[in-house]
Amino acid sequence: MLSYTAFIRPSIRIRPLRHHATRSLATSVFSKTGSTPTAEAEEHLKNVAKYNQYTNAFVDLTQPDHIRSQAIESTRRWESGTAKSAVDGAVMGYKMNFCTSDLRTTCSSAMLENFKAPYTATAIELLEKAGVIMGGKINMDEFGMGSHNVYSHAGPARNPFEILGRSTEEIQELEARSAGGSSGGSAAAVASNMCFAALGSDTGGSVRLPASYCGVVGFKPSYGRISRWGLVAYASSLDTVGTLTKTVSDAQTIYDIMAKEDPKDSTCLTERQRKAIADTLNPIDLTRLKDQDVNAKPLLGVRVGIPQEFNLAELAPATKDLWRRGIQVLKDAGAVVIPVSLPNTKLAVGAYFTLATAEASSNLQRYDGIRYGHQSDKNDEKDALYSHTRMEGFGKEVKRRILLGTYVLTSGSFDNFFLRAQKIRQMVRNDFDRVFSRRNAITGSCGNLVEDFESDNSAATRVHALLTPVAVSTAPKLKDVIGDQIDPVDAFLDDIFTIPASLAGIPSMSVPFGTCTKDGFPMGLQIMSQYGDEEMVFKVAKVIEEKGRGMSNKNSS
Amino acid sequence: MMRPWLLRAQQATGITRLSYYSTGARSHGARGLTTAPRQHHPQQQRPVHAAPPPTRNLVKGRWEPIIGLEIHAQIKSKTKLFSDGQTSFNAPTNTHVTLIDAAYPGTLPECVDLAIKTSLALDAHVYPVSSFDRKHYFYPDLPQGYQITQHYEPLAQNGKIELSPLDGLDYHLTVGIEQLQLEQDTGKSLHDVYPGLTLLDFNRAGTGLMEIVTKPDLRSSKEAGILVKKLQALLRAVNSSDGNMDEGSMRCDVNVSVHEVGKAYGERCELKNLNSIKSVVDAIDAEIARQIVAYESNEPVTQETRGFDVSTGTTFRIRSKESAPDYRYMPEPDLPRLVLDLATIRALKSQLPELPDAQRERIMGQYDLSLIETRTLMGEDGMVKYFESVVSKGPTAKSVITWTIHELLGRLNARDIKFSPDVVKATQLGSLINCVDQGVISAKIGKNVLNLMIEGDLRDAEAIVEEKGWKQMENHDELDKLCEDMMSQYQDKVKAVQKGNI
Repeated sequence: MLSYTAFIRPSIRIRPLRHHATRSLATSVFSKTGSTPTAEAEEHLKNVAKYNQYTNAFVDLTQPDHIRSQAIESTRRWESGTAKSAVDGAVMGYKMNFCTSDLRTTCSSAMLENFKAPYTATAIELLEKAGVIMGGKINMDEFGMGSHNVYSHAGPARNPFEILGRSTEEIQELEARSAGGSSGGSAAAVASNMCFAALGSDTGGSVRLPASYCGVVGFKPSYGRISRWGLVAYASSLDTVGTLTKTVSDAQTIYDIMAKEDPKDSTCLTERQRKAIADTLNPIDLTRLKDQDVNAKPLLGVRVGIPQEFNLAELAPATKDLWRRGIQVLKDAGAVVIPVSLPNTKLAVGAYFTLATAEASSNLQRYDGIRYGHQSDKNDEKDALYSHTRMEGFGKEVKRRILLGTYVLTSGSFDNFFLRAQKIRQMVRNDFDRVFSRRNAITGSCGNLVEDFESDNSAATRVHALLTPVAVSTAPKLKDVIGDQIDPVDAFLDDIFTIPASLAGIPSMSVPFGTCTKDGFPMGLQIMSQYGDEEMVFKVAKVIEEKGRGMSNKNSS
Repeated sequence: MMRPWLLRAQQATGITRLSYYSTGARSHGARGLTTAPRQHHPQQQRPVHAAPPPTRNLVKGRWEPIIGLEIHAQIKSKTKLFSDGQTSFNAPTNTHVTLIDAAYPGTLPECVDLAIKTSLALDAHVYPVSSFDRKHYFYPDLPQGYQITQHYEPLAQNGKIELSPLDGLDYHLTVGIEQLQLEQDTGKSLHDVYPGLTLLDFNRAGTGLMEIVTKPDLRSSKEAGILVKKLQALLRAVNSSDGNMDEGSMRCDVNVSVHEVGKAYGERCELKNLNSIKSVVDAIDAEIARQIVAYESNEPVTQETRGFDVSTGTTFRIRSKESAPDYRYMPEPDLPRLVLDLATIRALKSQLPELPDAQRERIMGQYDLSLIETRTLMGEDGMVKYFESVVSKGPTAKSVITWTIHELLGRLNARDIKFSPDVVKATQLGSLINCVDQGVISAKIGKNVLNLMIEGDLRDAEAIVEEKGWKQMENHDELDKLCEDMMSQYQDKVKAVQKGNI
């Protein structure tokens, strides 16, 4: 093993964090509970003790005393009006593929079982600077490959939804449900209030699907918004840092802290680019509307599209019903809802798995057991060291994707698979540019001829946001997604609604919207908007969230 | 891939490239993203540059060798290609640094500038947009499991190097440069430092390399040797690489095939890891001989990678084509495309130093020097500048060339000292030559003065001559009187001389 001393890097330059405006707990993330960081931390620790044995969300935990002492310090800061940010003192969990110099960074793989990163991811550094306390590292699918958090060296994570508030005996009688994946542990931890929020990573839906299954908010910002430095790569051109939170405004708060330029990631937007993007997003013209109308109907002037291609035959009736209710909610809030077409949606899944596996086979090439990580004892011959090490270190699903990706990149199939997939990706991106009323701030594309885009005719048919389901159904039973009888190709369909946004790099959020009438499990709706237009996602999501919460209350009452 | 860097590209160039992707994606002509084999082999490529007699250097009167070179030159930059790690680094580096740490402020521009200058010096076309790719293979000294290179869209293409009788060839030859690309160097495997163990040193991992690929325009080992030498001189003139083959800052792979004149080209073999110009020449000769023997005895020559054993002077098989790795080239998703401002390219072009060919022509004409004298001058690092600086002190070029390459260089060689402008300062040598030319001292005394200077006397010739009393007498009356005194004092000697007894 080599030493990691060479790894120390100069800390990135970050603009000093704005001190929280009023410096009062009432405007912090603690205002909803009327609580303090200390009390919240105690609550989280209690839930960890109670539920983690069932959900298997946290794999490595920070020493409780360490959390407590940090929470106390934070509470003092709040009392003395010197809080670092709105989330000062909040406890967060981080997915196991984020490098932290404290706990292990295993990526849920035997390959990295004892790996301690010599540095901390940029996103986490920014959060720590804002006063966030690390609660621990969270379970995931190995290297982010999976949709149910079952391909994990730490064992599957379990959906906490029906566990909450039940006794041990009751829980044991329940059939375990999937927490979704690959950030299943993160969603489960937030849903069971083991932490204020959690970081996940989203490559093809890994944040949004678990959020939908567990009933929390899952947000994937535009590609390049948050630095990937320190996020162990699965598919570099698709990987994004995502969040799992209880509310949309929490997601917005955390996102604002992390969305910063980082010279350590060349694909991360620079401040200049961020400004350029902000300049292209013309605000919606509300001048002709009366203030009281705008207050009553927050989405006046907003056009929301319903992509027809997402209306699949496989869609459960309950999901369709949910989607319909979502549309009604947006209409009630003043939005114009129109059908739109994203014709290449059905090609997206194939393109995604071609590109993601190709990049994964390349990114995972470095795990050879030489510098860090698992090394096989059976190092009898030169070549054998590699094969033994990788055979023992990687799990089944990872090996399957490495093989697929290796095949995709071989000289005989590169043109047929990789290049075609790249073309489809471009087509999917064009589909989005054609329906959005704002230009793609990066490519400048509006999907069509400029004249067409600028004509009034087009303005009426183009939309600010899209509304779709997140998943075909509610969380499946764990026994249905574990084991060899599962067809891996069928499993890919779990991500069918989330993949297009990943391919196009656009922001997308899964917002809980009521529960399924059939099994009582939560379901989410997905909101997407044009590249760089996170604000629109938040705006629409807040409306959905508010109504969704109302419905849940109705159901429970 | 989302392409945030495109915006960066616009900012860098100030020109709108928004249509770049929407129009034709990545395929624009020959440089598009396809897996068409790279064209540096005879089967696909005919020399396009003006060439001397189409068949030359035939072996045994009928076998024509076809030779192309791939030269890797380490870029002389302070930091690595994609990380701010130092190029000479004592601590071991970690793989993550070079992958995700693709940040280029401070690191990328330098490597790129030097590679652009080299490309321009090779008269190649520098593309304003190029991109990076990953080349995959497993080897312990390759930390990422892939090397970042420029496979699909290299930095520059279509250059050339001219060889002429002035370089030691009997004819003029233009050797095409297929392309120049940027790539990362690997670490080093140290075999058998401890018996049976391989140690790994990652200091070199991630250092910038230029891969320079020639067209298959060469026909003999002599041509190849001269080309490498010339390229070496060019890299040093541009100061983009040390170009030392023995230190590994320049490495050379050779593709060789042989065929009978008038028949189809033969299968090529790649000779790897040649670490001196002599082994390049010897390995080519050995390989040509081997292939001819094989053809003559009706044994097939198959495409393969071979090494060269210096001790036996023969080549040996490393791996056959069947066992050659599939590198699975893939566009590098962690790095934006490399976008160059045209103004930058122009500025770099104007900064190019005088290149060896132009310099040779100029000094031969300007100072009326012979080819051998010019070659000697240009053969020593910094000597041309030194020579010109001495000439500027006043003496004639003829006497300066004698004093520099014969007297000074001869003495330095005898003492085994490497030439440097600091051993004897140009002002010192200038004063010395002036003293001799003006008759202040004789040429013989001048050589003594030069010896003192080499031994560390930092004064000008005048001061040394003054102190030693070596000044030549110019007053004839005084000299006559001195002679007469001597003769009257030593009568017996005079007589002996008069008898013819000298």
